Amino acid sequence: MSFLKEIEPITSAAAADLAAATDLAALEKARIQYLGTNGEFTALLKQLGRLSKEERPEAGKVINRAKADLESALVSRREELELAASLPKEPTDFTLPGRRRSIGKLHPLTQVTEEIVRSFRKIGFAVADGPEVEDDYHCFDALNTPPDHPARDSQDTFFLRSTAVPSNAQQLTCGADRTGNPLLLRTHTSSVQIRVMEKQPPPVRIIVPGRVYRRDNADATHNPTFHQVEGLYVDRNVTVGDLKGTVEFVFKELMGPETKIRFRPHYFSYTEPSFEIDFASSLTRKMGKDWLEIAGCGMVHPQVFEKVGYDPEVWTGWAFGFGIERIAMIRYGINDIRLFYENDLRFLGQF
Amino acid sequence: MKVTLNWLKQYVDFDWTPEELAERLTMLGLEVEGVEKHGGEFEGIIVAQVVSRDRVAGSDKLSVCRVHDGKGERQVICGAQNFKAGDKVALILPGASLPAKPGEAPFTIKVRKVMGVESHGMLCSPKELGLADDADGILILPDDAKVGQSFAEHLGRAGSDVIYDLEITPNRPDLNSVIGIAREIAALTGNSLRIPSVDAIDEPSAAASSESKNSGPECPATEEWIAIQLDSPDLCPRYVARIVQGIKIGPSPSWMRQTLEKVGIRSISNVVDVTNFVMLECGQPLHAFDYHLISGVRSSEANSVDKSTGKPTIIVRKASQGEKFVTLDNREHTLTDQELLIADSSKGIALAGIMGGQNTEINDETVDVLIETACFHPANIRATSKRLELRTESSYRFERGADIGIADWASRRCAALILKTAGGHLAPGVVDAFPNPPKPKEIRLRYAKSNDLLGITIEPAEQNRLLISLALDAVSSNATEGTFRVPTHRVDLKREIDLIEEICRLYGIDKIPGTTPRGAIGENSFDTVHDQLAEVRRMMTALGLNEAQGQTLISDNAARLVSAEAETVFLAHPLSADMNALRPSLIPGLLNAFSHNLHHRNSDVAGFEIGRIFSKNGNTVTEERHLAIALTGLRKPPFWTGDDRTGKFDIFDLKGLVEEFLEQFGIPRIAWIRRPDPTTLFVESAAILLGGKLHLGEIGQLQPALAKLHDLRDSVLIAQLNLDEVLARRNRSKTFKPIAPYPSVRRDVAMLVPESTTHESVASVVRQSKAANLEKTELFDVFRGKNVEASQKSMAYAFTYRHSDRTLTDTEVNTAHEKLVALLKQKLGAVVRD
Repeated sequence: MSFLKEIEPITSAAAADLAAATDLAALEKARIQYLGTNGEFTALLKQLGRLSKEERPEAGKVINRAKADLESALVSRREELELAASLPKEPTDFTLPGRRRSIGKLHPLTQVTEEIVRSFRKIGFAVADGPEVEDDYHCFDALNTPPDHPARDSQDTFFLRSTAVPSNAQQLTCGADRTGNPLLLRTHTSSVQIRVMEKQPPPVRIIVPGRVYRRDNADATHNPTFHQVEGLYVDRNVTVGDLKGTVEFVFKELMGPETKIRFRPHYFSYTEPSFEIDFASSLTRKMGKDWLEIAGCGMVHPQVFEKVGYDPEVWTGWAFGFGIERIAMIRYGINDIRLFYENDLRFLGQF
Repeated sequence: MKVTLNWLKQYVDFDWTPEELAERLTMLGLEVEGVEKHGGEFEGIIVAQVVSRDRVAGSDKLSVCRVHDGKGERQVICGAQNFKAGDKVALILPGASLPAKPGEAPFTIKVRKVMGVESHGMLCSPKELGLADDADGILILPDDAKVGQSFAEHLGRAGSDVIYDLEITPNRPDLNSVIGIAREIAALTGNSLRIPSVDAIDEPSAAASSESKNSGPECPATEEWIAIQLDSPDLCPRYVARIVQGIKIGPSPSWMRQTLEKVGIRSISNVVDVTNFVMLECGQPLHAFDYHLISGVRSSEANSVDKSTGKPTIIVRKASQGEKFVTLDNREHTLTDQELLIADSSKGIALAGIMGGQNTEINDETVDVLIETACFHPANIRATSKRLELRTESSYRFERGADIGIADWASRRCAALILKTAGGHLAPGVVDAFPNPPKPKEIRLRYAKSNDLLGITIEPAEQNRLLISLALDAVSSNATEGTFRVPTHRVDLKREIDLIEEICRLYGIDKIPGTTPRGAIGENSFDTVHDQLAEVRRMMTALGLNEAQGQTLISDNAARLVSAEAETVFLAHPLSADMNALRPSLIPGLLNAFSHNLHHRNSDVAGFEIGRIFSKNGNTVTEERHLAIALTGLRKPPFWTGDDRTGKFDIFDLKGLVEEFLEQFGIPRIAWIRRPDPTTLFVESAAILLGGKLHLGEIGQLQPALAKLHDLRDSVLIAQLNLDEVLARRNRSKTFKPIAPYPSVRRDVAMLVPESTTHESVASVVRQSKAANLEKTELFDVFRGKNVEASQKSMAYAFTYRHSDRTLTDTEVNTAHEKLVALLKQKLGAVVRD
């Protein structure tokens, strides 16, 4: 009976030590002391084998219950201590700034371009592209620009510098293509109209966002580099009405559903009839204007079709173009075009 | 082009308000760029007479007056003391406003009650009228002032007018004239256009001014005065001359002066003013010569008459190379043989179509005047005007294409007005050198074609009416088409589409309803490229990079950093040396952006740009799309605790970005080949190769000297990739691999290797070993220092083994792993640490 008597004090002592452990290390120490391989309670278990057959069932029952109790006490104490350990020592100040990971920002011109592309795609337009270094045929002649038009002047357009090529006896120039057409930086994305129509039979339904160049000194409203979007739609029976409908759709998408659009007759060499487009919205009212000029457009001039080999008797079409910077400036109230090209993070971060 | 409301009303009737007129003109395609009210500042103020003046009961100062305003009597309260019954005064009527002082809102008069007495207007003081700075009492007008007359008229100030500044598109030279604009209004309103008659000057009795004593008996016909010789009829297809004899130079009458001044032309003298007036009126530039300053003119003293003709000849010829000529503005020009001169037998007398010469200028002594109305070739005038930097109202009009048909009308109109304003009498007849009058242009219009293009139905009769209202003649017309003769002033009308435009314009674009497009679906091979570029941009921003957009045009200095001069594309006429080259790389632009940010106290920048770069090979210019990434400064956004918060970007931050991008974008098998030597740009760098061969780009650390040049203090890490190649090589195919259900086994190896051993050489041995079931190799530590010899480093790798169909046994893994370790020892001389 002495064995049974031994169980109780060791069990009580073990339970007390487990309960008294104030941290996980102390608890582990207590566990090893009683329940470890050489622990006091484990020693009792080992004695069980030496008991008589008669004593063993009773002792086994008692000692197993005691062991289960101890183990469950250990588990619950461990959980308590773990919880306590995981609690911060001081309450967290949730007003402290978090550890940030920054997402980069798309340039505002990219964002506006993407929006323009999205609205055109809703109505079935595909994006097209062409070179920024152009020849004067695609930039001017094919677009019905007369040979002595001021836009073709080196005052207004950037031509590339000619260089002699030593390997060739004849003076060839970098400023000219194979057929001697002078090379220049395109002054509008309209040159892509021509390139696309040369390659692709009608119908055509494209938009062309891209960089264009004019020989203007940089100031608040000018930068020698800027961006345009050009839209071209050629099909059978395309009408002025279609042009109006599309322009209205796109500008409502871009400038808000209450936007009003007005067409004014105008002149461009590559469209006839030609129009300038004004819009009116809360944005223009904020600028103190009833109408603000935003784009130029018109029905593709038959001469342009003839140049690319489209039959103007079969195909009609319209084109329109506008400046992306201008849209962005109006939308966001940006007052200086040069900000777009400075890439100041205090600017970029706002969009 | 400036035009006034009153001037327009001389040629056409319309009852629009000034604002409506602006709106109508704008919608016709004549954009109104400015509207300026002229005069009219005394609107609602009239001359009145005080009939009686009585005290207002209960007031010391106020009087109640009966005032006659020309129509009837009204009651007005006045506080002034300086007037009596019978005085003529300036009365402002209720509803009108006093002239505003600068910066103040105008004060509007209302009917009001003062001490119980109604006042219907106010008697004005000189101060209130803005006529004096200070005033004591009201303005008392002279006795002869007309009661009921407007105060403005009383002062002799012109009535009100509205001046419009119009933007005339270059295709419509005919609109650079008041009559041209009036013609548009006539077409829109259907009212007739009143063109002043000039026929009367043909009748001999009317050839002189009203003072008939001037019509002396001896006035030879024009052809006896002058001959015209056109040497270059292609550059000057028509030249009309008329002579007015015996004029007296003096100031213009006030109506002429006021009309010109309102549209910004300074009044000079009656004859010169007439030439300007007629030019503005009808668009035909004119020039007046002092006849006696033309060589070859008969005179009492000299007998220098041209022997062949017996009279002077005006020769329209090209200048000789180097010929000197002094224009009216006292500038001497050296001409080339491309420039057209109006000359007499000995000298140039006018720069054709641009400006007259000083030598034949109208002056106070001029008595006989030769009026020139001619037509010149637009391109020639433009070239001369540009070369000589001499732009005039005349050159402006000829550059755009003058109306060859108007020359004689303009000449007659000018003559008539000279007679009216400067007296004299007109030499009968005209010399009109017009060797090849152009055939009238005729254009066919299919009515259905207009309707098809406009998307609406306009009846043929209506289409005819619209065109005829613009002074086109319907030569013939049936149910389906019409043929129209184009008046000479419409140089822009060339083919059917031009007529359709006119119909659209007059019908009103605002009346054409918008329709949404139908039919074709857009298609272009670039479309997917656009999306892929957008995808790259989004990935870059997700990696924490800000997008930049740099200038395409950079300086040759900046270009030299990244490209050989022979491969750089330069501009022929740059705006400045800062912008004379097309960027051969995006890097100079990014460096500028970084530098800009640093100067604005932001030294931590992570940015990228996607854009085109330009290069040339011989004379072929190539454009490529590139992606450039650059990092400098702090790696992480600011934080308030932790040891790693001050960590700065290093080359592995950048490499990690590029690796992540390339892997996610679908570019496998990238090799990073270190360049043995520094480059102009990089202190240390590596080429990024695809498949071991194709050059995709480069990565490196900017030369510290260059960083310093841009004031950048921290390391600047830069990578650039050829996006055209990246897009072309992209592998977008994705195939699902089942997620392995069986556990993996990891074996770590830490080994000492020589310093020169690269990660790639380890990876290469691992690949060579073809270790069975090896799923993944991961470098997790590189260590130098304690317990490692100086020429060595410790590299620790984790090798993960897994089989897709079953759990691997320890023995299997050990066999494979031991073989791998043995090979590492053998190939790399690695000493494996325990």
